[in-house]
Amino acid sequence: MSFAKKNGGKAFDVLQNLPRITLANLRPEPGAKKAEKRRGRGQHGGNRSGRGHKGERQRGNRPRLGFEGGQTPFYLVIPKYGFNEGHSRRPQYQPLTLKRLQYLIDLGRVDPTQPIDLTQLVNARGVTIQPLKRDYGVQLVDEGSDIFGAKINIEVQRASEGAIAAIERNGGVITTSFYDPISLGILIKPVPFFMRGQPIPRRMLPREDMVPYYTSAENRGYLADPEEIQQARRALAQKYSYVLPDISKDELYHMLAVRKDVRQIFFGLSPGWVVNMPEKKILKPTDEKLLEYYSS
Amino acid sequence: MAASMLVQRTAALCGTFKGISVSKAVRPVNSHYGFMLQTACYNPRPLRLDLRGPYIPDKDSIKTPEWQKTARYDRKLFGRFGSASHIDPASLWPSHEELEKIIAEEKQWHPPLEVMLRNIEAKEKEETEKRLAKEKLIAANMAKMPKMIEDWRREKRETKRKLKEEKAQKAKLLAEARERFGYSMDPRSPKFLEMVAEIEKEEKKKKKLLKRRVKEEQVATPPVAQS
Repeated sequence: MSFAKKNGGKAFDVLQNLPRITLANLRPEPGAKKAEKRRGRGQHGGNRSGRGHKGERQRGNRPRLGFEGGQTPFYLVIPKYGFNEGHSRRPQYQPLTLKRLQYLIDLGRVDPTQPIDLTQLVNARGVTIQPLKRDYGVQLVDEGSDIFGAKINIEVQRASEGAIAAIERNGGVITTSFYDPISLGILIKPVPFFMRGQPIPRRMLPREDMVPYYTSAENRGYLADPEEIQQARRALAQKYSYVLPDISKDELYHMLAVRKDVRQIFFGLSPGWVVNMPEKKILKPTDEKLLEYYSS
Repeated sequence: MAASMLVQRTAALCGTFKGISVSKAVRPVNSHYGFMLQTACYNPRPLRLDLRGPYIPDKDSIKTPEWQKTARYDRKLFGRFGSASHIDPASLWPSHEELEKIIAEEKQWHPPLEVMLRNIEAKEKEETEKRLAKEKLIAANMAKMPKMIEDWRREKRETKRKLKEEKAQKAKLLAEARERFGYSMDPRSPKFLEMVAEIEKEEKKKKKLLKRRVKEEQVATPPVAQS
């Protein structure tokens, strides 16, 4: 056909006629590889090899970092004050930016059509939690709040106001809940826990100093009043000037409304059940006292 | 086949809520985003369970180590092998005594939510009361401040004035003494003191005379006024 042009044109010809690419035909981009500095060779690298003239500098005998020649050094002059007192006992929360969360959702590592839990995040290798290092969970940070655009039902341990606003602006639901260290260890590694053959324990309530955080509606605490949470949602929408979308008319409303019970660790599994991995069975207790304890 | 079943089960246990068991590798979702969003469910690490030759230690033999005869190890056996470990599942849960112990421990160390809220309220109330009391005290003292400032200023003025007066008096006396005796004396010497006493006497006399005169005038003027 007369109008059927070959795609590529001259470049295609070149590609067809040139020899194959080998190591002999390749060369790095100019400026990509910088020659290393070789000490003790040549006019510039030799002689004193960049060490200076005599003294401790050239002979490599300089005193320790912070030494000021005998004068009381700065780091000893300043008196101690209890800024770092008890730092190893303070609860820590691994930060999770909204940017990273969006990244995980975009790559398909986290499923936005299911409730997102700490287990989901750890399975997706989005965060790494170390309960033995006084980690009490994950905190949501509002770093990528301007690019965040996913409707999710997420449960974290702490969340900043901007992060809450960003999630609710997209029509999602966010809850902050508390996991005591044992429950946290079980939550992030459920399969090794099930292999231990123990019944799922009850989640404990937070410490007294954390109770105000988890009972306030501004932080969307799991112990707070649902009506107060609704009010707080409206107030936040007003503060950050966005229109609060109505979740009840959403198609995924049923999924977005799923919440865990105060004593529950896993979705769909109650405390007191024993999960058996080799036989894929769940064993539930029948004793009244046990049932009463586990369901209180 | 068994492996895929396991995968299904673990996926179900890990993430989904009850009712719906999700096990999709890759599915195109035409969600409200408007474009095809492919989400891969979590592919869990396969559980390599070797159930061919389960090692279940002999509880009665002496040779088995002590730690293999404990309840904890029994639970682990059950967790690894299931019913092939021939362990009564009822032993996995705490017995009645152990349960009571657990409940007592929880009561002691984990108070219920109402108790904690009450404690928090009490603490907050105490704090606010303290703060209010402090602020009241400060306000009351601040209200008194102008008066106190005035008093203090007045005191200072008074003392200054008195000092000045005393100085003036002393200077006057010294001048008198100089006039009388012709040379400046030490105010502590007996002559000076005598002079001071004389001056005082003279002053008293003058005062008395003044008083008498004033009385006479008073006596004189009313009868004049009457008549």
